[in-house]
Amino acid sequence: MAKYKTKGLDCWERAKELRIRYYEDYAEAHDRAALRWEGGAWSFDAIPQALEGKVHVLTEEPYGASVGADPRLQVKYQEAAEGKWGCARDLCAYMRNYWGGIVLDEYAFGGKWPRADFIFQNQICCSHSKWLQVADEIYGGTIPYFCFDVGAGPYDRIGERQINYVVEQLYDGIEFLEKVTGRKVVDEKLIQNVQNTYRSACYWAKTCELNQAVPAPLDEKTMFSLYVLGTLEKSNKEIADFYEKELYPEVKDRVANNIAAVAGEQCRMLGDSQPPWGFLRIFRYLETYGVVSIASLYTFSLIGWFELDENGNVVPYPTLEEQGITIKDRDHALRLLAEGELKGKLMWAPFYGAKYKNELVTKIAKQWKCDAAILHLNRGCEGTAQHQMEMKIALQEIGLPVMTFEGNMADEREFDEARAKRLMDLFLTETLGLKKIAD
Amino acid sequence: MIEKFQEWYQNRHDFARRWKEENPDGKVVGYFCTYVPEEILYAANILPVRILGGHEPPALATPHVFDMWCPFCRDCLSQGLAGKYDYLDGVMIAQSCLHVRQAFGAWQVHVPTPWSYYLCMPNAVRSPRSRPFFAGELADFKKAVEDWAGKPITDEDLDRGIDILNTNRRLMKQVYELRKEENPPITGTEAMTMVWASQLVDKREHSLLVEELLRDLPNRKLDRDPGVRLMIVGSENDDRPFMEMVESIGGTFVIDDHCTGSRYFWDEVVPNENRIQAIADRYCDRVPCPTKDFGQEDWERKRFPHILNLARDYRVQGAVLIQQKFCDPHECDIPSLRRYLEGNGIPCYFLEFEVTVPVGQFRIRVEAFIEQITAEELFE
Amino acid sequence: MIVGGIDVGGKNVHVVIMKDGEMLAKGDSPTGIQKAEAAERLYDEVLEQASLKRADVERVVATGSASKRAAFAQGMIPDAAADARGVIRLISSARTIIDVGAEEGRAIKASPEGKVLDFAINEKCAAGTGTFVEAMARALEISVEDMARISLESTRSIPMNAQCAVFGESEVVSLIHAKTEKRDIARAVHDAIAGRIASVARIVGLEKDVVVIGGMARNVGFVESLRKEIGMDVVVPDDPDFVGALGAAAAATAGVLEEEVEAKVVEKEKYEEGKA
Repeated sequence: MAKYKTKGLDCWERAKELRIRYYEDYAEAHDRAALRWEGGAWSFDAIPQALEGKVHVLTEEPYGASVGADPRLQVKYQEAAEGKWGCARDLCAYMRNYWGGIVLDEYAFGGKWPRADFIFQNQICCSHSKWLQVADEIYGGTIPYFCFDVGAGPYDRIGERQINYVVEQLYDGIEFLEKVTGRKVVDEKLIQNVQNTYRSACYWAKTCELNQAVPAPLDEKTMFSLYVLGTLEKSNKEIADFYEKELYPEVKDRVANNIAAVAGEQCRMLGDSQPPWGFLRIFRYLETYGVVSIASLYTFSLIGWFELDENGNVVPYPTLEEQGITIKDRDHALRLLAEGELKGKLMWAPFYGAKYKNELVTKIAKQWKCDAAILHLNRGCEGTAQHQMEMKIALQEIGLPVMTFEGNMADEREFDEARAKRLMDLFLTETLGLKKIAD
Repeated sequence: MIEKFQEWYQNRHDFARRWKEENPDGKVVGYFCTYVPEEILYAANILPVRILGGHEPPALATPHVFDMWCPFCRDCLSQGLAGKYDYLDGVMIAQSCLHVRQAFGAWQVHVPTPWSYYLCMPNAVRSPRSRPFFAGELADFKKAVEDWAGKPITDEDLDRGIDILNTNRRLMKQVYELRKEENPPITGTEAMTMVWASQLVDKREHSLLVEELLRDLPNRKLDRDPGVRLMIVGSENDDRPFMEMVESIGGTFVIDDHCTGSRYFWDEVVPNENRIQAIADRYCDRVPCPTKDFGQEDWERKRFPHILNLARDYRVQGAVLIQQKFCDPHECDIPSLRRYLEGNGIPCYFLEFEVTVPVGQFRIRVEAFIEQITAEELFE
Repeated sequence: MIVGGIDVGGKNVHVVIMKDGEMLAKGDSPTGIQKAEAAERLYDEVLEQASLKRADVERVVATGSASKRAAFAQGMIPDAAADARGVIRLISSARTIIDVGAEEGRAIKASPEGKVLDFAINEKCAAGTGTFVEAMARALEISVEDMARISLESTRSIPMNAQCAVFGESEVVSLIHAKTEKRDIARAVHDAIAGRIASVARIVGLEKDVVVIGGMARNVGFVESLRKEIGMDVVVPDDPDFVGALGAAAAATAGVLEEEVEAKVVEKEKYEEGKA
């Protein structure tokens, strides 16, 4: 008999609908005199989205992941990027999925590639900037390109200078946007967008915090489909509303009523990095052993903002309301945006050293009551794969059994599913002593 | 005397150890990327030595950095884990690619070194906003060095540091200038070994030797046909067997663009009353590593026209483009650079480097490239 | 109690038949393309050797990358688990197990009871495996055995990269072109694989005793290179390539015992239910 009661999420359909509409809106933007731009999931969409009139964005990472979930598309676009453009096949898999679409002039969601009106990107990993630089080059160099730097330091070293550095670039960005689009950045919209960004980032973090409950109300596989909205357009009102007013209350309710993500939860797993998107069924496979992946620095803080409280615990970053802040003007909005991202996005911390990643993941493992960890050594993304082996050592030092497997988030040629399952069988039955509870 | 550079390069650890004995007040800092402002270290009587690989399979690195990361960076880490750098008083990095940050991060945790520093070198070096930011980071860095070394760094100290670096840069550039000749008096292998050595030994000593070399070179005649004039471009490269091989089969490297070559020393600090700002500007303005070569208006790279200018100034007939396997920033630039150079009439040949390269196989490939260039020129 | 263990690997099948912890018979044969048939055939051959019939065997457990092909087995055990159980039976002081077969190299950290505490495998690359040595021996135009032997005579160490089989092979070709002595090339190949597999072993940590098993454990050149690379002595059991099958047989014994215990529990429960 199942250990816990379970049910699907009521807001699931709404999340799906928001995502599909996003990609359709982008494709159709020009029919409605709306602007289109490309940038990363970590770009500050609050700013271009504050331009006058309608504006739609296509973020590369979730797009690359969508392609990655379909092996046929993946091979087609990657081979185009590798063969026709000539890029190396070990580059970021999202990048290659994306370039391949531009090279072939094909949009994975149907029709021709929707050319952007401008590019607004940021750099934190060592090739974020290059990604769109090359995209623009494939376009023939015709798209205005702006890339700002957020590599200003880890969360615990953010002061005036670091914030100023980013904010000054954002002002330059506004000047760039107004020049290349002939439209103005509207302050009211900007303020609204920054408020929405805070709501998306903080309420996602609060939702993740609820997963400390036993049984966990959410499993990581489901969380992937939920955080994605924040990678698309976190400054969007509907998306912020989704996080604050639909998802968070519902998950809170699940915790109150002991509703589990997985009825047979008996082992809580910590993960890391993106999964191999075309093979999410490996999570279902884990469930046959009662294993549920419930936490990861990646899934939490890709869009969520967190901080360390006075006891050193990982806690959600405070919302504007909790901080008692009302945004006054453009400058205030830009500063708050930069501050939230620089201080709250703990996922950026590992870029500054293994010790940051080790500290954060061991805290998460303890606070979220993880029994073991399975780390996907992701050959597709150097950014999220930072210090993964160090992380393994750090987790083992606090007594957590850890298994690793190599793969690639969006290049199936680098993932051997049968082998990964063999390793999981070994780890679960031998190291953890678990038995299958279902087939 | 040219052999002396090679000797320094080969016995780098001996040099550093000896230096420490001779300079009991001094410290030795290993650094991971050429964005580290050595001026400030010299100002504090610290000997900066670049951490390079040992061209050995990085056997100790795997538990810390798995196989998809740059072999050079893994090799560097492996050298540290093997205790080859046990004489270091400190270790530091200037923010650059993720690969070398992995090596540094693991080093901080597992290679006992008394002092370590992560210098937050900005990425957007082409934005004017990076300069005041970096000057601030450098001021913090200077303070950290002062605290560690236990004495203040004065303006005079900084002037001395700047002068040591600038002198060395100027002298090496003069040596490079001679490579423009029809029959260069120095091979590419020798010239680059000179640069490698400058990253490993006391630059004051190094500069004295370069000065001597400059007096000597005008009379030096190499008993070899320079053959095809080549340039070598790409990521970290201190692969002497490869360079020697190419220069033994009908080619001469007359110029390079590597962080172990011209990119390292091409630009000087332009003196300014505010020394820290002057140093910050130099690192923001230098020929960028691809990871920092992006703009805020269009997609163009700053480095490409610089490479083309070098190719023209040095009358290059072909370019060998190399990268360390898995080097993302270069991997993003190389297809574009290739189109750009070929579009400007410079044939290119691409090779991927590992800690050791298959010289025999590369020989066949480079021979074919050289033949192709010679054949094309016959028909022109 | 008579049990069987079968290890169906990428290249070879190994079978052992045990009676009360004692080996009755063993055998090996190439796996070939028809893996299931090869497994069946060898199993029957080994039974015949011991003058037994299938019905005499209480339980057979299969292991190895193609363990599913042994349809006659009643249970399966992951290969690293079989390694650990097999090794601990032979060498109870073993803590680090290095298994290098034709297709895969792996390292296991084992508890004194033979439980797998941590493991690591040589990912996605043939360079650290027996197949790589075979390819290099072909390039050198000598047998694997001769290659192992002559490498011990080498006094020169040449760094070679075995991160990738393709790179490795072209390095061997380069060395042949450079007229390097065969024994030095042979050693370079063994050193490279040893370096590669030692890297994998360092992930789980090298703790005494280090035991080497799998087909490559028979290669004296490789074992010597591995010893030097890790700076520790290594133990090679007799028949190092049979250890997986032995571990599977040990699991079969344990499985039978466990079933007996479970059956007793069920009986007891039934009895208590009946009483209630």
